[in-house]
Amino acid sequence: MPGKSHQELLKQYAEAIVKVGLNIRAGQRLIITLAATRGVPYQFAPLVHEVTKAAYAAGAKYVEVIWSDEEMMRLRAEHAPKDSFSEYPTWQVDAILKMIENGDALLSIGGSNPDLLGSLDPEKVGAMQRTHLQYYSKVSEKVTTNAINWCVVAAAGETWAKKIFPDLDAQTAQQKLWDAIFETTRIDQPDPIAAWETHIVNLRKRAKYLQAKQYTGLHYSAPGTDFTLGLPSGHQWISAQSMAQNGVMFTANMPTEEVFTLPDRNRADGIVTSTFPLSYGGTLIEDFQVTFEKGRIVKISARKGEAALQRLVDTDEGSHRLGEVALVPASSPIAKRGHLFYNTLYDENASCHIAIGRAYRFTLTGGEELTDEEFVSAGGNVSLNHVDFMIGSPKMDIDGIKKDGSREPVMRQGEWAIEA
Amino acid sequence: MDDQEFNQLLEKYAEVVVKVGLNLRNDQHLSIRGNVDDAPFIRKVAETAYKAGARYVDVLWDDENIKRTRLQHADPETLTTLPDWLYNRYEEYSKRGDAELAILSSNPDLYNGIDSDRIAITRKTLYQKIVEPLRKYNNYANWCVVSTAAPAWAQKVFPNLPEKEAQTKLWDAIFRACRIYTPDPVKAWEEHIQKLDKYKNYLNAKRFASLRYKAPGTDLTIGLPEDHHWGGAQETFKNGITGTVNIPTEEVFTMPHKNKVDGLVTATLPLNNQGVLMEEFSIRFENGRAVNFSAKKGDADLRKLIETDENAGRLGEVALVPNSSPISQSGILFYNTLFDENASCHLALGSAYKSSMQGGVDMTDEEFAARGGNKSLIHVDFMIGSAKMDIDGIQADGTREPLMRNGEWAFSV
Repeated sequence: MPGKSHQELLKQYAEAIVKVGLNIRAGQRLIITLAATRGVPYQFAPLVHEVTKAAYAAGAKYVEVIWSDEEMMRLRAEHAPKDSFSEYPTWQVDAILKMIENGDALLSIGGSNPDLLGSLDPEKVGAMQRTHLQYYSKVSEKVTTNAINWCVVAAAGETWAKKIFPDLDAQTAQQKLWDAIFETTRIDQPDPIAAWETHIVNLRKRAKYLQAKQYTGLHYSAPGTDFTLGLPSGHQWISAQSMAQNGVMFTANMPTEEVFTLPDRNRADGIVTSTFPLSYGGTLIEDFQVTFEKGRIVKISARKGEAALQRLVDTDEGSHRLGEVALVPASSPIAKRGHLFYNTLYDENASCHIAIGRAYRFTLTGGEELTDEEFVSAGGNVSLNHVDFMIGSPKMDIDGIKKDGSREPVMRQGEWAIEA
Repeated sequence: MDDQEFNQLLEKYAEVVVKVGLNLRNDQHLSIRGNVDDAPFIRKVAETAYKAGARYVDVLWDDENIKRTRLQHADPETLTTLPDWLYNRYEEYSKRGDAELAILSSNPDLYNGIDSDRIAITRKTLYQKIVEPLRKYNNYANWCVVSTAAPAWAQKVFPNLPEKEAQTKLWDAIFRACRIYTPDPVKAWEEHIQKLDKYKNYLNAKRFASLRYKAPGTDLTIGLPEDHHWGGAQETFKNGITGTVNIPTEEVFTMPHKNKVDGLVTATLPLNNQGVLMEEFSIRFENGRAVNFSAKKGDADLRKLIETDENAGRLGEVALVPNSSPISQSGILFYNTLFDENASCHLALGSAYKSSMQGGVDMTDEEFAARGGNKSLIHVDFMIGSAKMDIDGIQADGTREPLMRNGEWAFSV
């Protein structure tokens, strides 16, 4: 049987994004953007066009696209006056906020150059990133409380593809990355939407099992990692789907292989070692270790990008603490590809991970209704950042800690050790 | 031209746009509106602007395909939806006195085959929600309009060439028209601007009461308001900066009296307005108003345009361009107002610029209208000049002198 053409795959990918990811309702408006590059890089136009068509076909009232050119960010960091990096065009944040307030859906398409600003003046890059986070936090807040149905996906950006497959020519690398995207998002299967439904049910079973267990904490052990974190009472294990405050059930990430909740911001002790590089604000951070005491990061070291990691941690108090804990088996389809993606959406679904910074409100029962202060005293973390980093591997064991202090296996050798 | 040569020309073009067009000041913000296809040029402009001390260059990218997809597939009732942020963005930038660059390279056939009602609704929504409310910020800050050789536009201009070649050829025409091949383009522009200023000053000194046009299919008298002001290449904005609003520019222009236009005028070039082409059309005016009109192609669209609002059928601009202008001499029909208007004498349907009247920028709409200024949602240029056109200037006492003969200036400066 001949395979699907690229155009067919792209069309089905767009359909899955609109139907499974966003679950666009008739009469809804849709905004498409990417925060990291202040708009969707226009190299993703073919996917954006298909999504736009699929959204109108699903009855969308209006599709707004904020475009960008990654190169403009690099030009700015290189040539703009040193004292100008606190400038920020507020219209984008206003545009997105207005649409969110109106109950519109939000789609982010990632896949831009993970190393865009890597070689530039870290001080300027840091100032640029800080300003962005400050202005953008209003949007992040709405998204992390699931104010509306939202979804994050990726497209095979040219530079990104070359980063993953440095030995291939640009076109082959891009094709290969598209293959990986279509495979891990189940678009290569005969009926992608049915495949997603089955997958969502399976992930939900794991989340329900963990929810029933009511662990008070997790203990991680692996080479370079010996680490215990606490889970606050009221923590909610979440998988693929969530219910947005506008009443729409949506799938926030495509692909998604994780089951996740929030850790207690004051209970994390020990040392964790990253198992994947982390791309943060256009800079790669590699082979790093983070030491925690009573929930707070007290020490970091990195073989590469240590300054960027320090900048991340120094952003605010909340960036010294954790906001997410996620479990992903080492045999996930993404891990099985056997290569790094240098992109959080993909790498986080290849590996167990934790996130520095803000916790999602919906991972705590009733969290959406709490003030920041109330959320913090319930163990939730608040920060401008939410940055996942990968710690899983086939050598990782994880135990669940019960109320009585006894432990039971949750993962062994990177795989689920539970029946669900 | 090879890649390196092209790159150098693009850099020179960016320099002309930033230095002559915008005359960007140290510490200014620059807002750019362009199409995603314009990226190579916009990057050059951004780099040049930052080197000139720009604090921030913010680009609002458009994708024409998305606009067409919307007109094709969206529920017609939703076409009046336009998000507020677009207006808010322009307002924020205008108030701060930021420079603005618009890139005009749209596909002339973008909306081919799309229902003219849908196009009309979309246009009216844009005018009502963005263009009109923003008029109060006209001339707040330095702005400039330029073009790039976008693929779809290039294909329209040179339909028989493969896309790449068509683009190269259009770039060549743009560089030529914008004096980019001269050894020192910025200096060439300074000389050109001075020359246009001389024509402008001559016409301003004459205080003509009316202009009389004669050409095949055209027999038209255009009354000018008493306080009319002829403009040239440059304009001084409320933020104190003097810039060149159009690159290229070959015209000197002013405003007609909105009630004093009589006779018949025939277009000599097709008109491309927002993705719709109108060809071979004539309009008859009485007391300033279009009373009769027809087009061989796009007749319904012309009607919709003229009926946009009460004053869309009156004139807001009269511009003189010699037939020997470099753009006219290129013999290329550009299907792009920025270029075609600089190849030919033209008129504009719709609003007059307040800067075309002495003291106009400080007048209320009512004062401006009382003195003959037209106000409409639209301002759409159409070309009427040719090598067969004669124009006379007539003063209040009836003294009459030739301004143009056979499409060329009939006086020297």
